[in-house]
Amino acid sequence: MSGRMCLVEEYELIERSRRGDVDCFNQLVERHQREVYNLSLRMLGNAQAAEDATQDAFISAFKGIGKFRGGSFRAWLFRIAANACHDQLRSLRRRPTTSLDALPLELELDRRSLSPEEYAMSQELGAEIRRALSVLPADQRLAVILRDILGFDYDEIARATGSSLGTVKSRLSRGRARLRHHLEQYRELFP
Amino acid sequence: MFKRKSECQKLEGMLSPYIDGQLSSPDRERLEGHIERCDACRCQLESLRATVDLLHRVPMVSPPRYFTIAEVAPKRRAVAFGALRAATAVAVVFLAFLFVVDAINLFEAAPVEDRLAQQDNATTPAPLGGEGLDNELAPAEAEGYTWPLRQLELALVGVVVVLGGTTAILWHRRRRLGETALRS
Repeated sequence: MSGRMCLVEEYELIERSRRGDVDCFNQLVERHQREVYNLSLRMLGNAQAAEDATQDAFISAFKGIGKFRGGSFRAWLFRIAANACHDQLRSLRRRPTTSLDALPLELELDRRSLSPEEYAMSQELGAEIRRALSVLPADQRLAVILRDILGFDYDEIARATGSSLGTVKSRLSRGRARLRHHLEQYRELFP
Repeated sequence: MFKRKSECQKLEGMLSPYIDGQLSSPDRERLEGHIERCDACRCQLESLRATVDLLHRVPMVSPPRYFTIAEVAPKRRAVAFGALRAATAVAVVFLAFLFVVDAINLFEAAPVEDRLAQQDNATTPAPLGGEGLDNELAPAEAEGYTWPLRQLELALVGVVVVLGGTTAILWHRRRRLGETALRS
């Protein structure tokens, strides 16, 4: 299906969802749930909290879809998802027993081409990336995840975070620089 | 004395947008010209690019479940809310009926003002001799039983206020939470 057909169909689904059609909204959920879940997972580093944030985001989106004023639905949805993640972060901070970096992160590498030693190194590197992400300020982490993990363009990030293009560039630049600084000592582990 | 920023420091913030192709032509040319001459910035750019490439390798994880939502109608609350609304409506209608009855004196009860005056007289001690008392109470006694409309109206106003208030609070809460409960 072409991108234009997809957009027309998505517009139709949004319009029906605005009229309270849950089935149509659920089709939108199925289209976006993977990305929303991954944003939550990388923002929170905790699978259960990511599930809760994703669920809250979609429920909030359904309740608030009447306020959607057109434009990029994905950006609008991710703005809600980002808010849900911030709520979960606050909740996690109130529950100090829950570790923010409890979730393993495995890099997408061809395991067959890796020696056991290299595989162990990639695991260690994954853990370091997770740790480095978790210490970034939330706004920089959000920008880095949206751009480098989910592949958003700058305009979409600006809409999803409610910031200007300049702010997006600045957050990405600072976030990436901090990640580079943190991961520099593991440079020999880079694939 | 002000410390001037070196060219490297000035261009550091351009490395990230440069990787994404987000620099304007003059800025890109300026950065590329500098990188050709500066080993430190070239190393920094390569290191940043490697970091970004590494982040691109962070895999997308499949969600552990579907997050589709379902309407869970809060049946008991809906029934209770409906009953409360109906009871409020019935009470309001009955109260209006009582007011009308009172106004047109359907049950031939004395007008409100007269009955209030009668009640006031009944509560004030009768003068010694008691001649006036017989004369004043005579009409009421002659009519037999008088409907306690005022008490009924007051009681019903109380009922309407309580029911109406509860209904309004529930309605407001339902609006805030949405008409239906949602679960994913």
